[in-house]
Amino acid sequence: MFSKIEKSPILTLALVTVLFLLYGYATSLPKITDFIIFCIFVIGFDLLYGHMGQLSFGHMLYLGAGAYGCGMFAYHVYPDPFLSILVGVLLGAALAALLGTVVVKTSAAAFALLNLALNEVGAYLALSPLHEWTGGEDGLSLFFESYGWVDFNDSTFRFYFCLGALLLVILVVTAFVRSPYGILLKSIKENETRVKFLGYNTFVYKYVTFIISGAIVGFAGALTSVNLAYCNTSLIAPTRNVEVIFAALMGGAGTVLGAVVGGTAFMTISNYLASYIVRWEMFLGVALLAFAFWFRKGIWGYARKL
Amino acid sequence: MGESILATSGVTKRFDGLVAVDDITYQVSEGETAGIIGPNGAGKSTFFNLLTGYFRPSEGQVHFKGRDITKRPSYERVMMGIARTFQLVSVFDSMSVMENMMLARVRQGQDYKSKTRFFFKNAHYRGLEKECADALDTLGIADKADALTGDMGYGEKRELEIAIALSLNPKILLLDEPFAGLSLVDIAHISEVIKKIKGQFTIVIIEHKISKLMDLVESLCVINEGALVCNGNPQEVICDAKVKECYWGKEDMVCY
Repeated sequence: MFSKIEKSPILTLALVTVLFLLYGYATSLPKITDFIIFCIFVIGFDLLYGHMGQLSFGHMLYLGAGAYGCGMFAYHVYPDPFLSILVGVLLGAALAALLGTVVVKTSAAAFALLNLALNEVGAYLALSPLHEWTGGEDGLSLFFESYGWVDFNDSTFRFYFCLGALLLVILVVTAFVRSPYGILLKSIKENETRVKFLGYNTFVYKYVTFIISGAIVGFAGALTSVNLAYCNTSLIAPTRNVEVIFAALMGGAGTVLGAVVGGTAFMTISNYLASYIVRWEMFLGVALLAFAFWFRKGIWGYARKL
Repeated sequence: MGESILATSGVTKRFDGLVAVDDITYQVSEGETAGIIGPNGAGKSTFFNLLTGYFRPSEGQVHFKGRDITKRPSYERVMMGIARTFQLVSVFDSMSVMENMMLARVRQGQDYKSKTRFFFKNAHYRGLEKECADALDTLGIADKADALTGDMGYGEKRELEIAIALSLNPKILLLDEPFAGLSLVDIAHISEVIKKIKGQFTIVIIEHKISKLMDLVESLCVINEGALVCNGNPQEVICDAKVKECYWGKEDMVCY
């Protein structure tokens, strides 16, 4: 059943919409808005990891770029929400385009660690040398203009706006996966050298994918800024990279819906389990071991076969 | 015979002091089917890797249709028309047979040139599927189109790899031990396929055993210990004293 849903973009979007509406109204809309934004982050990250096979330990950098791009524009330039989000996305993409020229030439462990190193540098820059712009440790408190019912101070509007954003990202990334480019990504993941002997300059496509990933993750960062109405260094903290990696693994790397399932599952555990078990991370660690040893394909990897 | 299509002048490849290919000057004429033989570890595959851009030679040049392509990367050589297969079959096991084929076909046509089509159009549309099915059909594996490549037998994978190479619009096709590891039935089949495509474009075949090449090729070259021993008419080459020496040792053997 699920595999049929996955093949049809309309059914996919409908399923995601219905489930998030149910979840949102059954619990609380602001909380589920966080979940939705995190899902966008996971999709952007998984384009590199699950689809192309490059694991980054430093994608919080691009989340931070999006968050600060959006936040600094709203704070220092003009508090239009849409322009601010656009600036966040562009900053994420531009930073990926700049750093990608070096990072994409590496792979495997070097790729993962180089990203982490750059994330550390970025977090430090945001905290200290650039504190006049970024607000340093205090962060920036943001305010956004509202136009009639387009009001980002209203949590219900934010919920629907972010849900719409998630649907847009799912639609675009699903199109990628089904296109020749998606097949190319899969083949690069399996054997990059061989792809070159089919006439593809693989560096170009790895670089483009890195930029697209940076843009999507930047988008998630910008939405986070808008949703929280502030941005601070926790949105670029390198230690939080583990969250997105956990989520991608849990959901099932390499599928768009897997990223959404993983993002939601991770957020559910970290939000709700934390109220019952103080050190919930231990539970998460055990769960990850189970996934690594017995459920390699993740939740969605098994559910889609039902 | 036509003009030279692919030629090397004095190519040498060293790996930390080991000379894998030693000063080989060689050329293939347009339209011919050429064979390269030599004992295990002679440097045949390394020589192929120099021709196709897998490695860059330590010394010497590679020319394609008179142009120096020594420094051209492999993907550019493919687009010039140099297609190859690998000694150990190399296809994408995690993808379906159809997707393997699509990846090769797309690069040659409109789906690659138009970036909106490349990034956004669903690859599984009828025109491309038909084109790919036809390409698979030339090797007799069209019925496997929807199978996962990893589930296919070794012989079928090699057929797929040849089908992929053929769909790259090659001007010269380099087959690296196309018969290695195959059953007798598969060997006969692939031999048939090569006879069928022979003459449409230039073909170079690496092989370990002379016997399999004798009725396929118009010229034969022998490589031993990285160096070119002999090159020319197949009948003359196998009677050459130096060739016999590297294959059978110093004793005299009867020509056959």
